[in-house]
Amino acid sequence: MVGELAGNYSTVVLMFGFAVVAMAPALIISRMISPRKRSNPVKFLPMECGQVPTGEGRTHFMMQYYPYILMFVVFDVMAIFLYAWGSALLELPKSATLPMMGFLAIMFGAMAFALYQSGRRRIW
Amino acid sequence: MSVIAPKFKLSEFIKSLLDNIFWILLIAVLIAIPAIQVILFAIEMPVINGELLTPFLALTWIADPSRTLPIIKAFMTTDIFRVMAFPGFGFAALIAAGTIFIERKMLAKLQLRVGPFYCGKIEGILQLMGDGLKLISKEIIIPAKADKPIFWAAPVMFVGAAAAFVALIPVAPGWVVADVDLGLLGVFAVIGFFPIITILSAWSANSKFPFIGGIRALFQMVSFEIPLILSLLGVVILTGTLNLSEIAASQSSFPWIVFLPVGAIVFFITMLAELERIPFDLPEAESEIVAGWLTELSGMMYGLVQLGTYLKLYAFAALFVVLFLGGWNGPMIVPPFPAEIVTDGIHLGPVTANIAGLPVFTQEMLNGTLWFVLKTVGVIFFILLPRGVFPRIRIDMLLSLGWTKLIGLAFVNIFIALGLLYAGVLGPGGLQ
Repeated sequence: MVGELAGNYSTVVLMFGFAVVAMAPALIISRMISPRKRSNPVKFLPMECGQVPTGEGRTHFMMQYYPYILMFVVFDVMAIFLYAWGSALLELPKSATLPMMGFLAIMFGAMAFALYQSGRRRIW
Repeated sequence: MSVIAPKFKLSEFIKSLLDNIFWILLIAVLIAIPAIQVILFAIEMPVINGELLTPFLALTWIADPSRTLPIIKAFMTTDIFRVMAFPGFGFAALIAAGTIFIERKMLAKLQLRVGPFYCGKIEGILQLMGDGLKLISKEIIIPAKADKPIFWAAPVMFVGAAAAFVALIPVAPGWVVADVDLGLLGVFAVIGFFPIITILSAWSANSKFPFIGGIRALFQMVSFEIPLILSLLGVVILTGTLNLSEIAASQSSFPWIVFLPVGAIVFFITMLAELERIPFDLPEAESEIVAGWLTELSGMMYGLVQLGTYLKLYAFAALFVVLFLGGWNGPMIVPPFPAEIVTDGIHLGPVTANIAGLPVFTQEMLNGTLWFVLKTVGVIFFILLPRGVFPRIRIDMLLSLGWTKLIGLAFVNIFIALGLLYAGVLGPGGLQ
């Protein structure tokens, strides 16, 4: 049963595999027919608009995005839960919608509060 | 110009020829015999016209066009054909290539330029082929200290993820690569792969511009994923299914954009952001961070990422069509086939050959594909248009747009859908 359910998705994986198998030769052919001139010390440096790069390439980069990542983790899962409700809505009795309204209110209120806090503390 | 080697000897030449023939025969036998065994014993051969199709029978039938058609028809129902050619990779890549060309010509017209003009004599029609040849013959330069396996794999994975997205899109009734019950959730799952591939490619390059661009791409895709998911909930509430084919089939009398315009607008804006297109092209902002996360990709690697981007563009436009514009539904404008074609066949040219059952595709499939392609091209046009019209917006404007306005509008859309359902306009007892 579970195997059948998973087996339906095998064509998605097949498509992924076909794209990988069909496109990897493009890189290999390109590697075979393209010129490979001898190297010099500048050639393989990272691109920095003509300057000689200084410092690390992979630095710690402060984007001040942490509250949004937390909000994403919470609300992404909640939004997917809403799909379980939405796809079964036609079979549910109408009284079952009221608790869902409460859930939506909590979700929306929490999101509004988080956005208000992030705006107040200027952590865009 | 090849020249004969100075020390040319006929005997050595014949010896090398025989050598080559020997090796070719050896490898062919070693590969061909297992292949034939696999075909004969492992793969289930189809039954055509009441006969089991053995390789011998297939070879006999290919010689006669009137008996080749059943083989072609049987082949077209297989997964391999669907993945490679029609609703899958070949079709999507064709539309993607057309999109690239149309975009360049259209942008040029918008900006009073000419665009691709010389290659191919007629309005630069061969420009894409020239670009492909250029990209494939350029040297691939990988920066020093890059994480090479990840850096090589990222463009290929990008194309693969875009192709997996394409696999879930139904093009015509019954013509879909993966007809799964949870198709919409599958779409969300596949969309979730793109930020990961982007940040891996950007991180492995060991360069600053790709790193900044990759982080921007990650944040942008992540913050627009919630409005994207919420804006499609209205359609799911009204149809009660997550299967994309059933959603498209449910719009036979009216498309959902009539009742859920707010959701359609929110989905369109998030689509632009997920595709990193202007006005949301911060990850590739060429005037700020050279080319964003594509900076260090050179040659065919860049070409593969471009192909993946446009495959993704086609898939998003097709998803918009399936969810909001009615998918393949439209007036039947393909004329019905005359009955004598199906039964007697047609007469081909001077050599009279009666090929029975020639219409390989049904009328519904041709009509559905026509309407689907027309609508998809229209949506792609509206995705391309902002590039010639709007400037790029700042990242804080982008975030406040995504996190406050679009999510609020997506909630409004959910309540519109619920109201339509409970007021009896739609759903059981209503219009549908």
